[in-house]
Amino acid sequence: MHPLLRTPLYLAALALMLAPGAFAQDAPAPEEDGPGVRFNGYGRSLIQQTGIGGTILDTDTLAVETLADGEFLLDLAVNAQPNDVTEVQGVIRVRNEFGGFFGSGVTVEVRELWARGIVADVLRYRVGDMDVALTPYTLYLPEADGVVNTPALFRPLREVIYHDEFYTGFNERRLQGARLDFGLEFEQGLEAADVRAFVARLRTTDFFEVPNRFIGGGRVGATSPRVGPYDSQVKLGVNLAYTWDDLESGDVDDGIRNAVVSVDGDVTVLDGDVFDLHLVGEGGRSAVRRELAPVDDDEGEPPPDDEAFEEDTDTFVEVGLAAQHEPTGLGASVMVVDVGPEFYSAAAQSKRIDYTRPKSVFDRVGAARDLRDVTLFDLTRDPALYTFRIADQLMTYDPRYGNVLPYGRATPNRRGVRLGLAYAPTGGPLDDVVAAALDVALLREIRGQGTEELKDFVLVRAEADVDVGEAFEWQRALELTLGTQFESTQRGGEPVEAVDLTSLLFEAGVTAEVYDRLDVLLGAKLRTSDGRDYLPIIEDFNDVQDFSAPFVTDDSESLVGAGLRYRFREGIYLTVQVQRFSYSADAAPDDDYHLDQVFALYTMNF
Amino acid sequence: MRTASLMNTSTLLWGLALGLVVALAGCDHATEFEGPRLIDRFGDFAVLDTLTASQETVDFAAGESVVFMAQFNKQVNWVVEVVGQESGAVKRIEGFSSTLTAENAEWEGRTTELPFFKEEPVEARLFVPEEASDTSRVRIEVLATREYEGIVVADFEPDSDVDIFVGNFEFEFEGAGISAEVPPAEGEAFYLLRGTDDVVNNFFVGLIDITPGGGGFFEVPTSVPEELYFNVFAYSFGTPNTIAVVQLIADANGSGEYEDGQDAVFPIIDRPVDWEGWQAISVPLSELLDGEITQAQAQEIVAVRVLLISDNNNQPMPPLPVDFGIDYITFTAGAPLQL
Repeated sequence: MHPLLRTPLYLAALALMLAPGAFAQDAPAPEEDGPGVRFNGYGRSLIQQTGIGGTILDTDTLAVETLADGEFLLDLAVNAQPNDVTEVQGVIRVRNEFGGFFGSGVTVEVRELWARGIVADVLRYRVGDMDVALTPYTLYLPEADGVVNTPALFRPLREVIYHDEFYTGFNERRLQGARLDFGLEFEQGLEAADVRAFVARLRTTDFFEVPNRFIGGGRVGATSPRVGPYDSQVKLGVNLAYTWDDLESGDVDDGIRNAVVSVDGDVTVLDGDVFDLHLVGEGGRSAVRRELAPVDDDEGEPPPDDEAFEEDTDTFVEVGLAAQHEPTGLGASVMVVDVGPEFYSAAAQSKRIDYTRPKSVFDRVGAARDLRDVTLFDLTRDPALYTFRIADQLMTYDPRYGNVLPYGRATPNRRGVRLGLAYAPTGGPLDDVVAAALDVALLREIRGQGTEELKDFVLVRAEADVDVGEAFEWQRALELTLGTQFESTQRGGEPVEAVDLTSLLFEAGVTAEVYDRLDVLLGAKLRTSDGRDYLPIIEDFNDVQDFSAPFVTDDSESLVGAGLRYRFREGIYLTVQVQRFSYSADAAPDDDYHLDQVFALYTMNF
Repeated sequence: MRTASLMNTSTLLWGLALGLVVALAGCDHATEFEGPRLIDRFGDFAVLDTLTASQETVDFAAGESVVFMAQFNKQVNWVVEVVGQESGAVKRIEGFSSTLTAENAEWEGRTTELPFFKEEPVEARLFVPEEASDTSRVRIEVLATREYEGIVVADFEPDSDVDIFVGNFEFEFEGAGISAEVPPAEGEAFYLLRGTDDVVNNFFVGLIDITPGGGGFFEVPTSVPEELYFNVFAYSFGTPNTIAVVQLIADANGSGEYEDGQDAVFPIIDRPVDWEGWQAISVPLSELLDGEITQAQAQEIVAVRVLLISDNNNQPMPPLPVDFGIDYITFTAGAPLQL
């Protein structure tokens, strides 16, 4: 057993031995409805037309300048409860692509299957499809690039992506396997403990060079009683995520072994009516290596003399204070971060966006039929770029959309401070009127890439939602949405080593209810980037093997749109929108282009 | 009592928190930079110090060596090529670095491409294949050549202490014998085998038997077949349909002398001569082509037989001449002869 795996397993066993009482956590909600069969689901109908124009087409004689497509899609969920403690569900997807000739474009597939229940009123289980998240460093789905606070105008197409890619909004990853969890209550010493365990298969073997890949792990959490004059309390958890290849499957030479163990804590130092103060943090260690497949020869083969087979281990720690002032709704946090350069957590660092995938529209443009870079337009509306899968190694990223933390909080090779401010007053004239947040990260590399010089990073993210209608007590809603992200990457040294890259992303949106349930939507997303950086070429999970040519950018893009939305009821709406996207690069004015899109989307959740 | 309990609990809480921080903050990360140097990958190239040599003359036989020195502004793949002005010998030293020093650019008199260097002037030039760099040169005088490892069986020089028997269809030889028709691999002479299988069509053109001067056994540095290497330099004129065969002959009847037909024959080389120029061929005696040689037989090698074969299956009619040259036959211990 890998040393990193022992601690959480021992803790789980110890908790079971010590627990006088046990209970199932979060019993399945459908139980409340009782046995029976129910139908629910999700449906949408989308028709859209996209056109391209601009100077890039002046020399492009092959481009089709207008594309139109659409679909009707129904995810029909059949939910059955044979008894009070068992529930099964299957989701059948029926999709009809508009333009399919008399049903030839219709596909039917099983989108989801799962069963869950409770054993002896103690142990909760689930098999089949499930959504799992642990912590940002162990098992987690980082936020998408190019998004801060999505205006309502762009949310319908984002919801399409989220639905298709099983994004729940809670940074969970869609897995297929089995999960168990239960809780424990204690009469003294601890207040409660909870145990979760899961195992899932990430991919199947091709019986040749691709082995089955699995992930397993879980969490053991404990909560102390509240003590002292300030209601102090300690919450601690031990987390494990272990990704491995079954080297007996297929005819493979080697496979991954990636273990990540962490301890997270939330110490309530002060829990008062006016002021809360918490000491929070997480720290842990990762190990990754290639494991050789067993050989039939009794004598075996000596391990190859290759760095790829050496185990890389590294640590991370994130610890700080979080405070909340209840009367004003003001919260603040300061965190010290240190994520080692060799830290590798496949299940936490895999991105939502795969920049290497082909885009759905106008993937190649220009006289040379070059690949068009991913833009805000694509990030906003193209499900083909998104994935929920766990990658084989650190994925490619675009520094214009996220250069400071391209792999989320688990981004390796970062050390520094993160500051957070949140403002969401409750009670008073601003109750439900304003919600704002500001996050600042001041980070530095721990280990240089291609030089001893280290990059310095600055990340500023701010967002705000203002409900003007609520503020003035109007009958109709008028909501403003703002979001911005500024990133700066700097490095000194020789001219060839120097890095100076800045990017700014800005989002704004207005939602105005002009008639009963009828909204006017306005939105804009702008990005501009300037400067130079080097993008590493990654091999063997997280090793920097080389650098592609210097990444030089001096471009900007804008996506603006307007539309109408009619809300039939909660979860059912029709929206018709017009959007225009413009891209321009100062260094290549002949490559400027714009995209115009018109679409109608009817969405229903039932 | 209650106050004490609260203090203990508070202490425990802070202790837990502090322990968590301390335990995890002891992070020891690798700090050596990752990947290739950016300045090497993308920086402009410049020669800071042109090529120089540590000495103008060198006596390799006395154990001297030449250190080449130069400096670039970044790490590059560089090549120092030393060419003998009389022999045409070539020594190539390659590296990836920003400086040439004794660590990576020392010449001890060896060669990369045969022939060996002679006592002659040589010219060394430094160039960077990936850069359009000017080549810098330096001249050195070789006063004495390197003494190579191993025991020489035959180098076909005038003072060579071997007997050479030319026999068996020797009438098909034409111009065979000790020669300097092309620059020898070593010294001033090599042995040329040349002829045409046009008298008796049996593939066989002729042979030479090389025996120690005055008879007896060839001296070997070790008798362990796995450790004992037979080395020979062979020259190809590019003549098609030529096959070279070399056999080791060990005393089988205890006479201590070579007696054709009575002693044990071990083929060690049997291959087409399909290359250009000189080539070093090394074979451990444990890999003899036919049968195994014992440790005792390895100590009692009485002759080296070299045969010139015409590949008549591919020859036109009448067959064309075939030829190859041999030079510097040696035994080494533990490894092939290092050029």
